[in-house]
Amino acid sequence: MILDFQTNSLTMVESIGKGLWRIVARTDDNLFSAEVTLEVKTPSLDIRQARLEVKRDVLGVVPDLTEPASRLIGVRVGPGMTKIVRQLVGGNDGSPRVAGMVLDAMEMLVNAMTVPELRKAAEQGGVPIRAQNDGPKVYLNDVTIGEETVRLMAANPRLKDSCAAFQDL
Amino acid sequence: MLAYSRCKSVGVQARGDDFRVVSGVLEDELYAMQCEIVINRSTLTLEAVQTKMKRFTTCRCLRAEDVFTRAEGWKIDSSLNGKIKKELGRNGCRHMAGLMVECIRSFAGAELAGDLRAAMEADPELEKSRFLDEFSANKPELASYLGLRSE
Repeated sequence: MILDFQTNSLTMVESIGKGLWRIVARTDDNLFSAEVTLEVKTPSLDIRQARLEVKRDVLGVVPDLTEPASRLIGVRVGPGMTKIVRQLVGGNDGSPRVAGMVLDAMEMLVNAMTVPELRKAAEQGGVPIRAQNDGPKVYLNDVTIGEETVRLMAANPRLKDSCAAFQDL
Repeated sequence: MLAYSRCKSVGVQARGDDFRVVSGVLEDELYAMQCEIVINRSTLTLEAVQTKMKRFTTCRCLRAEDVFTRAEGWKIDSSLNGKIKKELGRNGCRHMAGLMVECIRSFAGAELAGDLRAAMEADPELEKSRFLDEFSANKPELASYLGLRSE
């Protein structure tokens, strides 16, 4: 079957030294292409630089995003960021699509910072698993974080009831 | 050095005139998952949804798979993304919910691109703003879903 339409997105997070992280999020589809670049300082997790570039906009619906990008300076990666970013970038002089890309970029920084903790949890509280939908020849999950450690993690109010893993505990 | 990288890829294919099949994959350091949706073009209804959690972090993540079939019968409108993120993301998996939103956005984009292609073939001098006005009038649910506004 031949595809009628494709969307590809890639978000990359890297540490660039002196407590700065750079996140680049790129999205391309048949009609639209954009790239978001953020630089975020730790431990305050505030945005120090933001660039929002529209590379292709076949319908010409996205305005110049220089001003919305400048409004992102100082915004913190953390609670409330969704509402703030939608207001700053997704409004009438911005783009809801690009606002979503900014939020994806911020969320991937959180994921990047979570990886070491999850690795530790899997090493210390990991359980062997043979998931029924995995395999039958190649298994992607050999060890996952076990029930006991999940319970400990669910004590964090940000995780409790946030998804199926942290419900009914 | 690269600390984290997430790739999402979505394709939309035709199944006759009435249906579109959307398939999406997500891959990053922590997760791998896929989502397939059949969408009825005239009613904008999600006819069938299947998801697979391929690689995940906890022993409880697989519980999310059952949650996503709740979307069967849901219709595309401006409230759908919020509904997916709240009802399916919180009760299932936030990452899969994000992939599902990307799949539905791609379907809407495919409809827009298909109409644009046809309109440009009929009128090579087509004014994009007039096309957007007509698309919004003919397919208001998709236009509002995509957050389209003509100049």
